Amino acid sequence: MELNINGEVRQLDEAYGDGVLLWAIRDGLGMIGTRYGCGAGICGSCTVHVDGVATRSCVTPVEAVVGKEIRTLEGLQAADGTLHPVQQAFIDKQVPQCAWCMSGQVMQAVAFLEENSAPSDEEIVDAMKNNYCRCGCYVRIKEAVAHAADLAQEVS
Amino acid sequence: MAEEEVQAITNEETAPRRRRWRVTRRGFLIGLGTTCAGLAVGVVAGRRPFWRFLAGMLSSGEGAPSGGDSNPFAWFEITPDNEILFISSKVEMGQGVHTSLAQIGAEELAVDWEQLTVVQGGTHYGPNDGFGTGGSTSVASSYDPLRLAAASMREMLRREGALLMGVALADVEAVSGTIRVVADPSQSMTYGEIVAAVDEWQELDEEPALKPSSEHKIIGQSMARVDFESKLTGSAVYGYDMRVDGMVYGAVAHKPTVGATMVRAAAGEAMDVPGVIDVVINVDKGMAGVIAKTRQAAQAGVGKLNVEWDEGYLWSQEEIEAMLITEGREGISIQRDGRASRMLDDDASIISAEFKTPFAAHAHLEPQAALADYKDGIVKVWGSTQGANTEQSAVADLLEIDAETVQVVPTYLGGGFGRRLSIETAMEAAFLSYNTGYPVHVGWTRPDDMRQGYFRPPTRSVLRGKVENGRIAAIEHRQSSGEVAFPFFPPFLKGVFGADFGSWRGALNFYSKIENRETIAYLADLPVRTGWWRSLGLLANIFATESFMDEMAHAAGADPLQFRLDHLGDDAFGMRMKGVLTAAAEKAGYGQDLPEGHAHGIACSPDVDTVVAMVAEISVDDTGKITVHKATMAVDAGYFVNPDGAIAQTQGNIIMGLSSTLIEELTITNGVVRPRNFDTYPLITMERAPEIDVVLLESDGKPRGMGEPPLGPVAAAVGNALFNLTGKRIRQIPMTPERVNAL
Repeated sequence: MELNINGEVRQLDEAYGDGVLLWAIRDGLGMIGTRYGCGAGICGSCTVHVDGVATRSCVTPVEAVVGKEIRTLEGLQAADGTLHPVQQAFIDKQVPQCAWCMSGQVMQAVAFLEENSAPSDEEIVDAMKNNYCRCGCYVRIKEAVAHAADLAQEVS
Repeated sequence: MAEEEVQAITNEETAPRRRRWRVTRRGFLIGLGTTCAGLAVGVVAGRRPFWRFLAGMLSSGEGAPSGGDSNPFAWFEITPDNEILFISSKVEMGQGVHTSLAQIGAEELAVDWEQLTVVQGGTHYGPNDGFGTGGSTSVASSYDPLRLAAASMREMLRREGALLMGVALADVEAVSGTIRVVADPSQSMTYGEIVAAVDEWQELDEEPALKPSSEHKIIGQSMARVDFESKLTGSAVYGYDMRVDGMVYGAVAHKPTVGATMVRAAAGEAMDVPGVIDVVINVDKGMAGVIAKTRQAAQAGVGKLNVEWDEGYLWSQEEIEAMLITEGREGISIQRDGRASRMLDDDASIISAEFKTPFAAHAHLEPQAALADYKDGIVKVWGSTQGANTEQSAVADLLEIDAETVQVVPTYLGGGFGRRLSIETAMEAAFLSYNTGYPVHVGWTRPDDMRQGYFRPPTRSVLRGKVENGRIAAIEHRQSSGEVAFPFFPPFLKGVFGADFGSWRGALNFYSKIENRETIAYLADLPVRTGWWRSLGLLANIFATESFMDEMAHAAGADPLQFRLDHLGDDAFGMRMKGVLTAAAEKAGYGQDLPEGHAHGIACSPDVDTVVAMVAEISVDDTGKITVHKATMAVDAGYFVNPDGAIAQTQGNIIMGLSSTLIEELTITNGVVRPRNFDTYPLITMERAPEIDVVLLESDGKPRGMGEPPLGPVAAAVGNALFNLTGKRIRQIPMTPERVNAL
């Protein structure tokens, strides 16, 4: 079985073929940047992009994403190592604490900003409100998403 | 003092050239006052020879180390290639301790911030740390010994550098990881060059002077966290991420009820599950598990084991809560000034109130996880742990092997909050690896994590007080809780301590102008595992005492802020507490007009000698749902090693505190922990997160803890605001719409 992930075609062990995308990515492909939090699509730690759409990989069957473009946290940096504006914004605002949820927060924010490049505070909250952060970084996440929108504008 | 040669350790992989350094001990470093048990120059011949500077144990106080290992322990390593490593015994669980401890070290070592690399220590690498990471103690307990160790190392480098360059000691200075001649900075040697050139090190004759805080260039600055790039690009490794070649996945059967014990177990049809490799059962140890090619196969395999449980008594929530009732039980008086109890007898003017808090889960977003690899007589364990030494003992006890053969390597932690001072996955993985020979990874599911751990215990506080002439004449607090610290100590210590210091943390009355006051602790041995949870008893106890302080203020017809100020002492502690109360009130505009339907509430608390005060601005809608619009907190932790990190800890504590205040409640039904996942145990989200203002106050140049103290006043501030808004007093968290409407 093949998965198209971060622009590469990767062979997936068939043992992961009838499971959910999260474990295929983490255990099957050994890409640890996508995190397990609840396995029920609630906390958002496992958020990845499937054809550009923020998707909870812990409840998404592998079969449903074959042939689609999957993007994970590891696929955000430019080829020269430059961080994605959202990654840079999260560093600039010193957002994370433990950071286990941050992969999901960043992927959620990237997908959101690709749809809405100049969001209001209310729109940011609406986009980010279903991603848990137990360390309580919400104030900084909100600031960083707004900051990322500014950074992305500067880049483009 | 006798000359002493430190034993050389040979790295088993390669030892290209053996080299032995010698160290001459002269005296003072052996003792290092009372905070540091030993300090020496050690020798290691390894892949590359390197010089190892050894700083013995961490400081005393709450961070007292247990010691027990004869190996040398290093805080810093400098290689001849000029790699400068800081080895942190404290684990990074989000609190930023790798960064703040590195700042402390870099300051006195005289290296540039970018020159220092932080690496994680463990049971067999870096400074020994029997205490683990928790209790808001890391920075406070490491501050003096770490600075002294770094300064000593710098001075030894200075002396050897001067000798090597043939100049007088007084003529060289340590700057940016080099020793250079003051009059001619072009003449210099890097620390690595000195390390490469020196064969015999002499310890110092006297303690080096430490920089006054006015000269600090790295301590006191908001340095960027050292761990963020790896965490934001996906390369940071947590316990759940650990992998080694040949690794398999493991899972074991878990108790169906809180009081269950395993009676019988057999493989059943587990081996028929595709991917299952082996079944391991040991009923005496309560272990029945499988290893498999995938995590999912391991979990499916466990479901096919034949395990028979004695479920024990099936407790209800009501039965458990009834165990907390104080009436008719003996408590232990932990604070008694004057004659409060007698003054509060049979008096119609007595005010009385009872406060309750529920069980709570830690709900760190990375469920418990560990990897164990048993090979050549050594059990190596990697995992998300707050207590490497505790875990080492637990694994050794389970396997009945010598603790020295268990090596624990902490990874990054996806949150800790006190839960990871016991890490069952390490025991499960070690059990499976030891019995099968495979490296085994065990990662709990969220339902495992939600149900199989220990919890913040429920509490009940009964307060009685009497107001005379606008002041509190007498106050009494009967504080009842499940155990917090006791489950982690040998049983005989219960007799030594009397009351569980974790349970009563935050319960003592700190208003020293109240002449008659008593605090009595009641401990309940609940049939559910309880233990460390961020801030221990602080949140519950301050919710009770600071809500009641408000009740007394209203009974006295006084403003709650002024009433607090009037009852605080004029000593250093009292002045610091008044300082944060005043600062929070000013910043929040306490007492000024607010939008229609909004109200302020104020509360304060001390913890690990950090004092905080919070003003909550709230509103409540028709359904009874509370909205916290803004939280303003002033914090005095003496001195902030990393101010932005302190602000982050304050923000995080407020959010976690609000989650407990407004939402979280874990209950037991028929002996089973009711929530399985976040659908039945939701956490606060960005939608209910308020705007947060933080004011940092520095008082005396001594850093104190920041990991937990800001959690203290959160629930009380919200409850006090609710009273100011509605005239109704809420005495139970979480403050759900149903409870608010029922007032």
